[in-house]
Amino acid sequence: MSKKRNSRKNSRSRKASRSWIRALLGPLLKLLLVLTVIAAVGLIYLDAQVRDKFEGKRWALPAKVYARPLELYPGQQLSAEDFRLELKGLGYRTVSAVSHPGSAHWSAGRVQLVTRGFPFPDGAEPSRKMTLDFGRAGLERIRDESGRSLSLVRMEPILIGGIYPQDNEDRDLIRLEDAPAMLPAALIAVEDRNYYSHHGISLKGIARAMWVNFRAGQFVQGGSTLTQQLIKNFYLTDERTLARKLLEMPMAVLLDLHYSKEEILEAYLNEVYLGQSGARAIHGFGMGSQYYFGRPVAELDVAQVALLAGLVKGPSYYDPRRHPQRALSRRNLVLRLLRDQNRISDEEYELAKAEPLGVVEQRSLQKGAYPAYLDLVKRQLRQEYREEDLSSEGLRVFTALDPLVQARAERAQETTLEQLEKRYGKSAEGLEASMVVTDPQTGEILTVIGGRDSRYEGFNRALDALRPIGSLVKPAIYLTALEQGYTLASRLQDEAFKLELPNGDIWAPDNFDHRSHGEVPLHYSLSHSFNQSTARLGLTIGVDKVIDMLERLGVERELKPYPSLLLGAQALSPLEVASVYQTLAANGFRVPLRAIRAVTDAEGQELSRYPFALRQQVEPALVHLIQYAMQEVAREGTAQYAYSQLPQNLNIAGKTGTSNDQRDSWFAGFTGNRLAVVWVGRDDNAKLPFTGSGGALRVWTDYMRREHPEPFYATRPEGVEYVWIDDATGLLSDQRCEGSRQLPFINGTVPRDSVDCGQLRRRNNPLDWFRGWFQ
Amino acid sequence: MKKIAIVLGAALLAGCVGPNPYVTPVEDRSNRQATTPPPPGSLESVDPSPGVSVQPIEDVPVFRPQREALPESETLNVAPTDIPVSEPRNAAVVALLDSASQNTQGGDLRAAQSSLERALRIAPRDPQVYYQLADVQRRLGQFMQAEQVALKGVNVANGQPAELRRLWSLIALIRSDAGNSAGARAAQQEASRY
Repeated sequence: MSKKRNSRKNSRSRKASRSWIRALLGPLLKLLLVLTVIAAVGLIYLDAQVRDKFEGKRWALPAKVYARPLELYPGQQLSAEDFRLELKGLGYRTVSAVSHPGSAHWSAGRVQLVTRGFPFPDGAEPSRKMTLDFGRAGLERIRDESGRSLSLVRMEPILIGGIYPQDNEDRDLIRLEDAPAMLPAALIAVEDRNYYSHHGISLKGIARAMWVNFRAGQFVQGGSTLTQQLIKNFYLTDERTLARKLLEMPMAVLLDLHYSKEEILEAYLNEVYLGQSGARAIHGFGMGSQYYFGRPVAELDVAQVALLAGLVKGPSYYDPRRHPQRALSRRNLVLRLLRDQNRISDEEYELAKAEPLGVVEQRSLQKGAYPAYLDLVKRQLRQEYREEDLSSEGLRVFTALDPLVQARAERAQETTLEQLEKRYGKSAEGLEASMVVTDPQTGEILTVIGGRDSRYEGFNRALDALRPIGSLVKPAIYLTALEQGYTLASRLQDEAFKLELPNGDIWAPDNFDHRSHGEVPLHYSLSHSFNQSTARLGLTIGVDKVIDMLERLGVERELKPYPSLLLGAQALSPLEVASVYQTLAANGFRVPLRAIRAVTDAEGQELSRYPFALRQQVEPALVHLIQYAMQEVAREGTAQYAYSQLPQNLNIAGKTGTSNDQRDSWFAGFTGNRLAVVWVGRDDNAKLPFTGSGGALRVWTDYMRREHPEPFYATRPEGVEYVWIDDATGLLSDQRCEGSRQLPFINGTVPRDSVDCGQLRRRNNPLDWFRGWFQ
Repeated sequence: MKKIAIVLGAALLAGCVGPNPYVTPVEDRSNRQATTPPPPGSLESVDPSPGVSVQPIEDVPVFRPQREALPESETLNVAPTDIPVSEPRNAAVVALLDSASQNTQGGDLRAAQSSLERALRIAPRDPQVYYQLADVQRRLGQFMQAEQVALKGVNVANGQPAELRRLWSLIALIRSDAGNSAGARAAQQEASRY
């Protein structure tokens, strides 16, 4: 074909009979031929590229990480306030009459809402219209639309984060039909009016854009079609070169040739760049809607849709958070275009124009609110998945994070640290803190706070700050002693001593009050955290035995058998401490702490699950004894402060900890359904003006006050008996005798000899009246 | 004199009874030999406080005055909870246990496991949850986990004979499935106690 044309052209040029032209034309035509061939080949190559990329995997999809779904059931301890907070986290709109998913209507103690539903790995939860009644005790009743009672409903989980690919692009894929109909309309109105009639490029569009810009007196419309914009974002680099410009047009035509307008539009909706959150680039309207409005794109109203469509032209210039005025006028311009093109009525236009921007504060977004927890989740995932799978396969990760627990823990930490700084002035400046909260029954990690700024994505103190645990080690020592035959009533010597270490150093433990307390009962020594009696006890039973116990309880790190370990010189992270105390709270059953419940692929197919698993490490009867002593810590010992703020029936069990020279303030303790470990200290390791009970315990107590946890019930296991013991001697006593207290014993270890307060004689014993004289 | 004897005795005891608290590194051994007196690991009491000298109880009885009023259990500082708080089972838990049973019957053990874990989060002190969970794990062939979960069930079922009997029978079944017939017999023995 081209040869034919060539020869025809040749014959024409012969007629011209200009030899120099002929001489020039020949090579020129050959060149043209070569260029045509190259162009054809290039087109074929471009075509292949366009098709390949469009049909193949188009986007790297970040893994989505979800919080625990809130389970709703009558009888649940959930206040209306808590539920309001949960709905806020989910981005529900408060409306006067509910109709759409994601909307709620509140009236005193009652909420009516339409849930969105969610495809859980173990079955889909449908979208439901329902009414919840809250009372004093919590959630009292759930009724569906027709008034029937529901016994259990699962809310959709809050998306708390993602794992992003190298380029940090974050997106949430949507289908065209998921988008509100007004979204494509608005995009077309403002960016490419002839979208449905052109073939990828539009000369008319360019002309119109020039005219619109001229009439508006500013740059309102660009000449590129949506197709071209997609090509630009999708296939080409950001360089503004002529070569790129030249490639853009043929590629746009090819794309238009191969694919329907709907397919191209859908790709555009998911590709377009809409903003920047730190290193994270917000791509597509699915993520854009979450980022600016905290809710799914399907739930946006006209004004919000117009704002997003207007953002496309310059997400940074029109950033509604930084430049609300610019964003507002841009949005209103889009609305005007929609009205002018009869997409909305005059009335709708006026209403939408009067709406505020409605953009949520960045700080209130759930995504980015849990960096420390996410850090833990990622570390666990990386042990099992390849990085590129995590950041590109759209995996769904279901975690146990409880946003309500985190909110309470954050508030407690924040306000307590402020109080401490106020109270201690300069000596308490620069305090840092971290926290881990778990469910002692299931071993699930409910929250992790890595530092004072809980949104800071940096040093995660809960996992990486290794600090001497001080007296937090003591329950392990006393539990070891109980296992070796000691009882809670055993007598310990709280006396000063010196120990020469192998390196020649002298170790001479001192008590906090710099006094020795002589002979003390074992339970008392623990609850009052005496160092000298503990160190003596530990050396007697053996540091290696204590280490063995710590390992059974949950420490995985290698522990150095130095005597100073007995007073907590060993450094552990708050998370490690939590795993030890978890075993103590769970009656000697070690439950691996879990953050992840399950991982599924993008389609919801389960890839891995982390089931409830446990292993009995210590005899429950022995743990019952140590739990008794740990309750005494709060009743009479170093953690009495807790009961000045919390209800008496809570039966708190825990232990304070203060490291050498008062550099670390710790408290680890549990109630029936919450275990919390708190560390307060400084990054530069400077001395604190308070101990474990003065700092960390206050955070812990304030957290529990906000949490309203269930009381801890230490049911008496088989093989344990409670008997009355004389405090001062450790002898058997009686309820009727003064100075006695009830202590649990392993059967067969009860002391044989008894004090005498007349309890051994019968009631009608003549001595009774005699004793009466002296009372 | 007597005091010193007691202190010395205690020190000696501590030194002898307590296993060496160090896993002694090799390079330290020479060091240890060099500093013979006193050997590391032995306690040396300093400034023993006059303290309380304890009367040998066999000889002298200890008298205490009697209380005017008996301490009420509420005023007890740390009270044992003897009677387990058995609240009526929540309808949500009933529903989850039911669907778990159906799934187990139908052979969908994974789904059963999911429902039971949801139930566990709502009612972690309900022995029945542990019973069913252990049974599902037994059917999945995870015998070790099944036994541990059942043992935890025994722990929470404290004081509920009927539940204890069922749980120990299940443990017997798990053990015999795992090929541990002696253990199974022991568990059956345990079950027959209730």
